Amino acid sequence: MLLEVRDLHVEFRTRDGVAKAVNGVSYGVDAGETLAVLGESGSGKSVTAQAVMGILDMPPGRITGGEVFFQGKDVLKLKEEERRRLRGYGMAMIFQDALSALNPVLSVGDQLGEMFVVHRRMSKKDARAKAVELMDRVRIPGAAERVRDYPHQFSGGMRQRIMIAMALALEPALIIADEPTTALDVTVQAQVMDLLAELQREYHMGLILITHDLGVVADVADRIAVMYAGKIVESAPVHDIYKSPAHPYTRGLLDSIPRLDQKGQELYAIKGLPPNLMNIPPGCAFHPRCPMAQDVCRTDVPPLYEVSEERGSACHFWRECLHG
Amino acid sequence: MPEQPYEPDRAIAGTGAGGAMDLAASEAQTLEKTPGGPEGTGPQAKPRSLWSDAWRDLRRNPVFLVSALVILFLVFISLWPSAIASGSPLKCDLSKAQDGPGPGAPFGYDGQGCNVYTRTVYGARTSVTVGVCATLGVALLGSVLGGLAGFFGGVWDSLLSRTTDIFFAIPVVLGGLVLLSVVTSNTVWPVIGFMVLLGWPQISRIARGSVITARQNDYVQAARALGASNSRILLRHIAPNAVAPVIVVATIALGTYIALEATLSYLGVGLKPPSVSWGIDISAASPYIRNAPHALLWPSGALAVTVLAFIMLGDAVRDALDPKLR
Amino acid sequence: MGRYVVRRLLQMIPVFIGATLLIFLMVNVMGDPIAGLCGERACDPATAAQLEKEFGLDKPVWQQYLTYMGNVFTGDFGTAFNGQPVTELMATAFPVTIRLTVVAILFEIVIGITLGVVTGLRRGRPVDTGVLLTTLVVISVPTFVTGLLLQLLLGVQWGWIKPSVSPDAAFGELIVPGLVLASVSLAYVTRLTRTSIAENRRSDYVRTAIAKGLPRGRVITRHLLRNSLIPVVTFIGADIGALMGGAIVTERIFNIHGVGYQLYQGIVRQNTQTVVGFVTVLVLVFLVANLLVDLLYAVLDPRIRYA
Repeated sequence: MLLEVRDLHVEFRTRDGVAKAVNGVSYGVDAGETLAVLGESGSGKSVTAQAVMGILDMPPGRITGGEVFFQGKDVLKLKEEERRRLRGYGMAMIFQDALSALNPVLSVGDQLGEMFVVHRRMSKKDARAKAVELMDRVRIPGAAERVRDYPHQFSGGMRQRIMIAMALALEPALIIADEPTTALDVTVQAQVMDLLAELQREYHMGLILITHDLGVVADVADRIAVMYAGKIVESAPVHDIYKSPAHPYTRGLLDSIPRLDQKGQELYAIKGLPPNLMNIPPGCAFHPRCPMAQDVCRTDVPPLYEVSEERGSACHFWRECLHG
Repeated sequence: MPEQPYEPDRAIAGTGAGGAMDLAASEAQTLEKTPGGPEGTGPQAKPRSLWSDAWRDLRRNPVFLVSALVILFLVFISLWPSAIASGSPLKCDLSKAQDGPGPGAPFGYDGQGCNVYTRTVYGARTSVTVGVCATLGVALLGSVLGGLAGFFGGVWDSLLSRTTDIFFAIPVVLGGLVLLSVVTSNTVWPVIGFMVLLGWPQISRIARGSVITARQNDYVQAARALGASNSRILLRHIAPNAVAPVIVVATIALGTYIALEATLSYLGVGLKPPSVSWGIDISAASPYIRNAPHALLWPSGALAVTVLAFIMLGDAVRDALDPKLR
Repeated sequence: MGRYVVRRLLQMIPVFIGATLLIFLMVNVMGDPIAGLCGERACDPATAAQLEKEFGLDKPVWQQYLTYMGNVFTGDFGTAFNGQPVTELMATAFPVTIRLTVVAILFEIVIGITLGVVTGLRRGRPVDTGVLLTTLVVISVPTFVTGLLLQLLLGVQWGWIKPSVSPDAAFGELIVPGLVLASVSLAYVTRLTRTSIAENRRSDYVRTAIAKGLPRGRVITRHLLRNSLIPVVTFIGADIGALMGGAIVTERIFNIHGVGYQLYQGIVRQNTQTVVGFVTVLVLVFLVANLLVDLLYAVLDPRIRYA
């Protein structure tokens, strides 16, 4: 395994109380594999990623338990300086909104070149040449001229390509993409997603794709981990999930995708709101919204049942769900 | 004075209170939606929830409580100075000049033999009067002019923007020296008049900015689409949201007006003896700084505490009205 | 960029005319412009009429204003109360005040920004709370009180400095007066920097910079500071004009013979030419400083440059 997260716990201490954002998440990615982490906002998918990258705001954030093995080493036990060297070099991250994630007052060439200046101790001139090369690679037209431009002068799609180029710069073993296409137009989304998938194959990287959009996932992901209230509720190869989900929450997500063959019918929506992380319901956190909930769901926390060798579901009634 | 962005266009973006209001307004909107009350109560429910939220925050804020207590005390002694100080502030005895504390004079005597304690207590009235009246005048004039310009835009807006630019180009103390040096009347009114004349542009910018922000809110657009009249939109939808930043800036400005009055009196163009003002006392005490520092320190301390109280009150109110900081 | 400069220059013109006209009106209409010309006594009616004619005071105010501005642009600022040309007073006064302002601005930059960065990065810690309270107190104590207290302590009690500044007003003598002049702005710079740093620290691009594996020092200087200081630079630039205009109080306390001193004399002796002349130059300084700030803003923030 390239990356293995084991039983990770993260909480945020705020004035109003303690928000338990991640409650025992475990997942893994191999080199060349794409793992899609799926969930609503507040499900803990981004916080997990930030903990893996080591860019969590601490305080108020706090890792209260768990291990994160990257290339065999527990990175949570590394010194901050070693951690820093790993970022960008071993693992890199692509953020959702490239306009705010790129520094508005530095040219894209400076921001791309910085990776080489810092991690490879290159001269500014060489770094600039590398920046142009990277921009070419993510297919930005006229890279040699545009390298001096500032982020706000690019279109949304082009900006996201720059983000990808920046993550790719040092050819890291792992890329975490946090909702990389959410802020883009639908037509551009597909282009950026294809580019990302293509580059991942080319460099044989591990890719964690964080998203709330099941539609994006189908084409590119190998495995899917569905998160709810800071826990993984279902984890499975992508085709199994689409064929037949083993958790009512996954089923709800799938049913709420608009489909062409259901034209004219009312769109399904999971009832209720995501749980308050300061006050997560006892038992199965999903039970207040679950159409299949029984008494046991209100009291007993479901473990991740083994559905098959490659598949797990945290539902007491996964069998019923799988076949019903 | 608080951070004033020079460029009027930048003022819309609002460094301080303007931007805060943007957020306050949007939060007020979401608060309005949740109760889902009957039609017509919406517009009233909106500001109320913002204000009651702020009030709940303020009651728990020690900074607010302390500064409010200080201000209440100041108002009390401006209304009834004789309640805590006996004798007249004008009764001076040269034989006691520069003396230290004595019976009935816990702060000692100044260069003219006047009772420093009595004069300090009576000085509060001048400061509070000037501060309150100037602030009321500035807030009224500034928010009306700025609000109308922001709401109607066009020529009026450009005209107001250029006018405020002109006023900002004149250094305040200097303007005060020029204008007040020719005034013979020894009352607080010319000083207040001057402050209103030079102070309104500050508030008008804030008001203009927040009105423009509020005007762009969806519910205002909706009210307009439903055919509400200009005056109705302005009074019921925009004013309640635009008033909070004005209150915050005005509270802080109140403190600075008190400081300005003292400065002008110190320079000899604000109030003049026999008026009683901390500025006059500080000015009179400065030649005796070596022998009678107490005559300088007490009115200076009173002045500093007063200004501090108003600025802290303004700060606390701003924090309470700005959900971003919670 | 060129068009932007031209537009800003054109915008300056009405403001300059408006502000100088306002001062001109204040001095000429409200005051008695010839009062100071006959010495201590009031002028007798015949002399007064003659003087009014001589100075063109019998003409409408707008005409007087135009004549005056015409003279100003040929370098003639009129005559001060002691018969000296106003320009001569300016030649001695402005260098002193400029030195004082430079000292004040240096304090704002060095101390203000440093404190702001330190507290912005340590928000909520004891250092932060302490500095924040101190700035509140400094803002609340009027400049003239700060000045008198520092004079009392450093000059009279401890004897570290001379309580009043010599006519030469060398840089060394202007350190304490410069600090006094800067005090309120210094506190604002600290607070502004602190807020700006604290806000930008949570920004997405700083998170990106950390995710890129940059060392902490580089994240702070290259990414955080560069962005956070834009509003601070703007404030300090705009403050230049305000400091020179506000130096009047500081100069009076420390007996510095600068612009404020000359202006004060002009006002006390009701010498119109001195007052209007000095204020005109101050307004010009204010406007030019603001123009430069706007240009600097455009240099620092590419989003403005290409807008």
